[in-house]
Amino acid sequence: MSDLIEVRNLGKTYRKATGLFKHKEIRALQGVSFTLQAGETLAVVGETGSGKSTLAKLLVGIEQPDQGEILYAGNQINCSEYRKTNQFIRYIFQDAARSLNPNQKIAEILHAVLRYSTVLSAEQREQKISQTLRLLGLLNEHANYYPHMFSGGQLQRVALARALILDPKVLILDEALTALDPSLRAQIVNLLLDLQQKTGIAYLLITNQLRLVRHFADQTMVLHQGEVLEYGPTAQVFQQPKHDFSRKLIGSAQY
Amino acid sequence: MQLLDIRNLTLELETPDGIVRAVDRVNLTLREGEIRGLVGESGSGKSLIAKAIMGVLHQRWRISADRFSWCGEDLLRLPYQRQREIISRDIAMIYQEPSRSMDPTAPIGEQLAESIPDHRLEGVSWWQKGFFRRKRAINLLHKVGIRDHQAVLHSYPYQLSEGVCQKISIAMAIAKDPKLLIADEPTTALESTTQAQLFRLLASFNQLKGTSILLISHELETVAKNTDTVSVLYCGQLVEAGETAELLKNPRHPYTDALIRSVPEFQPDLGFKQQLYALHGSIPTLQHLPIGCRLGPRCPNARRECVKTPQLERQQNHFYSCHFPIHRGGTNE
Repeated sequence: MSDLIEVRNLGKTYRKATGLFKHKEIRALQGVSFTLQAGETLAVVGETGSGKSTLAKLLVGIEQPDQGEILYAGNQINCSEYRKTNQFIRYIFQDAARSLNPNQKIAEILHAVLRYSTVLSAEQREQKISQTLRLLGLLNEHANYYPHMFSGGQLQRVALARALILDPKVLILDEALTALDPSLRAQIVNLLLDLQQKTGIAYLLITNQLRLVRHFADQTMVLHQGEVLEYGPTAQVFQQPKHDFSRKLIGSAQY
Repeated sequence: MQLLDIRNLTLELETPDGIVRAVDRVNLTLREGEIRGLVGESGSGKSLIAKAIMGVLHQRWRISADRFSWCGEDLLRLPYQRQREIISRDIAMIYQEPSRSMDPTAPIGEQLAESIPDHRLEGVSWWQKGFFRRKRAINLLHKVGIRDHQAVLHSYPYQLSEGVCQKISIAMAIAKDPKLLIADEPTTALESTTQAQLFRLLASFNQLKGTSILLISHELETVAKNTDTVSVLYCGQLVEAGETAELLKNPRHPYTDALIRSVPEFQPDLGFKQQLYALHGSIPTLQHLPIGCRLGPRCPNARRECVKTPQLERQQNHFYSCHFPIHRGGTNE
């Protein structure tokens, strides 16, 4: 199997209590299947409530799927076994400033990640940390900084460092580029593209910015109310959208 | 007619580490019926300028300007009461996060009715005022494209989606038929389909009523599509201003150039997954601003002269402040 991730018929339903005994079922996601190869980028677009973030949560194991299966490199892995899966697949949150612990130095944050998921000795961990920081264009001294001492773009790099320190095969970016300023965004995009070329990492890009998708993604998937409307190579999806909704979505980005 | 004419607006804040000059001698003009974009990154002072125009800056800010005229009257030199009168009559603003700038404890209907000024209801007997207010509120909702007014009027802000909230705040803003509408990042929280809707809405008000719009955004591409003229700010300094099409085609300042080149959309011959153009470094904090041209440390063609603040130079309707402006061929002077 050459597929890094294969997702078959994934579905998730939330139950919401509407009374003492009654409840309503909300289908957040149903029948989602896709494959992702190493060195590729899959973009997931759709409006709010379309199940984009649910998909990301299912993949990293924050939530359990109700149906379907997720295969990593051909093997089915139970997502709740974090120790096994988190070396494969990492997640970056939307707001880097809020997802880093303000009480911990960067080094402590990164040490904690390594202590949890690897068997490296303290010395090896140090080495790994400085290596990762350098890979992301940060300095060794930055390890002793607290998160508030960084600017927005640097914080995003730190968040990336935390994700990449385990050498994952897949990185999920949940609106991670939206909040950045344009010139910083270009920097981070360059960094991501560079990393993909060097290490063959695969990205799952969840975003609203269709311009970026067009530049960045090999495959595009359009979600609407939990269902896949379109899935295919980016150029094809953008040129010949099949459904009305995706036509509207893509048309709106071009004005 | 010149609606707004600001010359050398400076906003300073006294801090324990000394005076921070957040906005440094910015010029801004707006004609009647013009849509002007104000582009800049976070911390470049665009929202501060908007608040200064609205007169809602905290009193700790020191505002000074050579000229700050609104329809020929210098706002800064008027008594406070008169200043408030003029601003509340003529200028309206849409704030960044609509659901957060509304009152969470009152239903939309009440808030909307409250924003309709009394002089709109002149000639109506006092016992009929409530009825007319309500009627007008429903009318406003229809104008911004909300058809189901009954449900919206009775809901609280948290019950509505961000897009609907944004439409309601536009409805509140146009309740008094302002001459100038300031939209402070109106579409950051919205999806691209709703974004397009909102811009169409703003454009239609501009065309039907002749409302001038100051559109504040950090995304050059949205500004490019929806404005006639644009001003680019960097760290509180005005780096370039001019007509949008001309400025995009022929940027003179290295920062504008970098902004344009960092957007894949403006680069038709950029290959798939090719590196984007980016300035190195990041935006300086307000406490550590470089002297002279504030782009200096990040600028690709900075030289020794750049420690002096460049003057705003003019070429027809195109203003730029750079010692070494870019020429079309990419060579320097």
